[in-house]
Amino acid sequence: MARLDIQNLGPELFDFASFDLAAGERTGYSNYSYWRATVTKFLQSRQAVIALAILGVLLTFTLIQPFLPGQRDPNLINIDPETFRHVRNVRPGAEFWFGTNSIGQDLWARIWTGTRTSLLIAILVATWNTTLGIIVGAIWGYVRSIDRIMTEIYNVLDNIPTTIVMILLAYMLRPSVTTLIIAMCALGWVGMTRFVRTQVMIIRDREYNLASRCLGTPTGRIITKNILPYLVSVIMLRFALTIPAAIASEVFLSYIGLGLPLHIPSLGNLVNEGRQLMMIPAMRYQLIFPSVVLSLITISFYIIGNAFSDAADPRNHT
Amino acid sequence: MTDREVLLELKNVSVVFTQRGSRQSLTAVNDVSFKLWRGETLGVVGESGSGKTTIGRTIVRINEASSGEVFFKGQRISGKISPELDAEVTRRIQMIFQDPMASLNERAKVDYIVSEGLYNTKAYRDEGERQAKVEASLREVGLLPEFASRFPHEFSGGQRQRIGVARALIMEPEIIIADEPISALDVSIRAQILNLLATLQREKGLTYIFIAHDLSVVRFITDRVAVLCKGKIVELAETEELFSFPLHPYTRSLLSAVPLPNPVEQRKRRPLPYDPSQHDYSQTPPLWAEVRPGHFVLGSERELHTWAG
Amino acid sequence: MTENLISVRGLVVKFSLRGRVLTAIREASLDVPQGKTLAIVGESGSGKSVLAKTFVGMLDANGWVDSGSILFAGEDLATYKGEKQWIRIRGKKIAMVFQDPMTALNPLRTVGLQIEETVRLHQGISGNASKERAVELLAEVGIPSPRERYRQYPHEFSGGMRQRVVIAIAMACQPQLLICDEPTTALDVTIQAQILELIRRLQEQHKLTVIYITHDLGVVAHVADKVAVMYAGDIVECGLVEEIFYNAQHPYTWALLSSLPQLGVKGEPLFSISGTPPNLFSEIVGDAFAPRNPLALKVDFVARPPIFQVSDTHYAKTWLLDPRAPAVEPPPAIKHLRTNFGGGAMRA
Repeated sequence: MARLDIQNLGPELFDFASFDLAAGERTGYSNYSYWRATVTKFLQSRQAVIALAILGVLLTFTLIQPFLPGQRDPNLINIDPETFRHVRNVRPGAEFWFGTNSIGQDLWARIWTGTRTSLLIAILVATWNTTLGIIVGAIWGYVRSIDRIMTEIYNVLDNIPTTIVMILLAYMLRPSVTTLIIAMCALGWVGMTRFVRTQVMIIRDREYNLASRCLGTPTGRIITKNILPYLVSVIMLRFALTIPAAIASEVFLSYIGLGLPLHIPSLGNLVNEGRQLMMIPAMRYQLIFPSVVLSLITISFYIIGNAFSDAADPRNHT
Repeated sequence: MTDREVLLELKNVSVVFTQRGSRQSLTAVNDVSFKLWRGETLGVVGESGSGKTTIGRTIVRINEASSGEVFFKGQRISGKISPELDAEVTRRIQMIFQDPMASLNERAKVDYIVSEGLYNTKAYRDEGERQAKVEASLREVGLLPEFASRFPHEFSGGQRQRIGVARALIMEPEIIIADEPISALDVSIRAQILNLLATLQREKGLTYIFIAHDLSVVRFITDRVAVLCKGKIVELAETEELFSFPLHPYTRSLLSAVPLPNPVEQRKRRPLPYDPSQHDYSQTPPLWAEVRPGHFVLGSERELHTWAG
Repeated sequence: MTENLISVRGLVVKFSLRGRVLTAIREASLDVPQGKTLAIVGESGSGKSVLAKTFVGMLDANGWVDSGSILFAGEDLATYKGEKQWIRIRGKKIAMVFQDPMTALNPLRTVGLQIEETVRLHQGISGNASKERAVELLAEVGIPSPRERYRQYPHEFSGGMRQRVVIAIAMACQPQLLICDEPTTALDVTIQAQILELIRRLQEQHKLTVIYITHDLGVVAHVADKVAVMYAGDIVECGLVEEIFYNAQHPYTWALLSSLPQLGVKGEPLFSISGTPPNLFSEIVGDAFAPRNPLALKVDFVARPPIFQVSDTHYAKTWLLDPRAPAVEPPPAIKHLRTNFGGGAMRA
């Protein structure tokens, strides 16, 4: 910028300028939107975008796979038309893209069906646990008078070994999708409760909440309008992490024989079947494929969950 | 003076906070009593830990008084009260908070923030009336009505504080408790808020309790001042009287420590340290006595005699 | 004529924020006289903290010095790039005391160890010698029973005591310059008086140069020898403390002084500045204060005012001091200060 020649400034410039008071009030419009900033920050993380893409592809594929041409029924025991024998343990090739398992079922179809089932279970469990956890946790955190009794109840529930409860329930009820969901939901929500309660206690006495109390706002509305909106980001994170955890529980239950029946393929079943053939190098593919899918899902959810949580923290919004 | 109405009266109010599970307790407010006359601005000053914020919060029933009573126009409003009286207190006594960044719900629109009290007390007939009230309230504090559809983070500190004032005003209160309303604001914005509060008082006949630690502001805006030290009121007088003739050693120490924005004068001053152990109240508790007209001090008989000169 | 410990010339500091560039400091120039106390006054957004951080190389990661120079002991700090260069200055020759004593100390380590850390790093002594030095420092900043308190953790100290510890850490290596960024804002007024007195005593004993960054004009009146008033990243007025208080020339300084309740008349509205500080993302044409200044001239919107010297030690960047500008009545509070306390060369 060229330096203005001071001597050459016209004398009329030294008159008073008119003063606009209202213009001052309109300044400072900052155009910052919390969600927009969150999304921008999220997209800045390459890992997260890749993970999101992978997950997106997987999900889409599990949903459209049955409708693609030439797909086989996952439970169909394929029989070789020439020899009339079960097409057992065939390595991946042109005919069966992922090969077949020990009784001749198409692994490709089984994996996608299994992923569908596992994800469905996991999402239902996560939704239930999160919802119940938030409701109980928010009330617990906000209403001081019930804190003592709730802490005692929580301590009792928390000390019950969830694994044993899951095993017990899965054992008592007949193996099915519903059983699995019930088993994982029975005590899975307790952890979320404690977490939400802590978060609520942190913001409970901030000035804007005191102001609401001073204005006579009832507790329910304070929780829903003042507190929960602040917890959305941390809750989303927990939700995202609960999904791979649910799948892992399901795999574990399958290991110990309490998983889904074989005619309902799930990642747990598939991993379990594959594990039994692990020592035979030629058959390792039966373990590798479901494991890879499982790993991709788990890792993606972790990365996405963490990236989202970081992005949703206003302190990270530059 | 005595024929003015007593709006609020605190009688021997104490607020004790106990740590759950441990024996430890903190007496934030210790046997505080004072009257609030209609139309005045009463300043409550003290340093951190003096209990001044707690007194304000106890009056609006955010904190509970452990002992003593608070009366509003003769009716007891502390302790357990009927829901109708509680709603009445919500309408008549409102509060403005210190930190404009923390006292507004970031995730709610200004419209909701300002109307929150109206929703709670259903003080409007229909949506149109509610919107009109919000608009009027925003205008009164010098904000544009179009701000109602925006979020708090779009505004500056001074504007946010004014939103807080609008939120309290819309309830049409009789008493507003201002808890350090300007300490978190920039120096040049403080004047805006002070002017606003003064204008509103004149136009609406409001009564203020102004809680502050900044004595120079207190001198400018209040009619009477109560000085708090560790939960007890040590001195209460009309403002000019207090600043010209401070009697209690704590008040004098406090006044001597406040720097004047005047280099020549300021460099002549020396701060007076305050030593709480100079008081010995082990034998007899101190008296709360009117030493000069309208000027009350807390002290033993001997001390009062010495200070009054 | 006292020598200048630090000389800043034409400093420009920029930040990259949300994809755009913000100019936090716009060609500021400043001299810090050795052994004296300089107060930098300004409100939030004025750039005063940023200016102080450039002296110790602690700008946020998204900020940089774009141009200008900061001369200190023969070196230009504006050219410093890496930690290796700053480590010789920071803590050793220039030390900083921050506003919030609660967060300035590590809650997990004892106070004594935190002081020793600095001592060991910069002075190379260790073991018993560094411990003795730490105890010595605690005593020097007025902490009673320093040997016992050496072993305590920050949460066992009150706010004022913690600030004293922070000052002890800053003084550990006997710096030449102590920068205090709002050191007493979070403290009670009686504690504030004690801390200001402590810093004054340390300054006397160690021939320190002190820079105070504050918005409290009372503190400025109490401690400062020289005052620089900042607005929107520029130093708009600078002079000796008496000159700034009793002979202020810039409309922003007038506004700051007039809006003080101490200078207000009860019952009358206080002078206040309308509007908000300017957006530093966009280029500012002319005087940054013009939109909020009822006394603005047309030229204020066109050309940035240059430095006008009022005396050898006092300058202001306002077109009102140009010979062609009309004579202007300052607000009543300023007139009051001038007539009752001003003396020496004054503009009629």
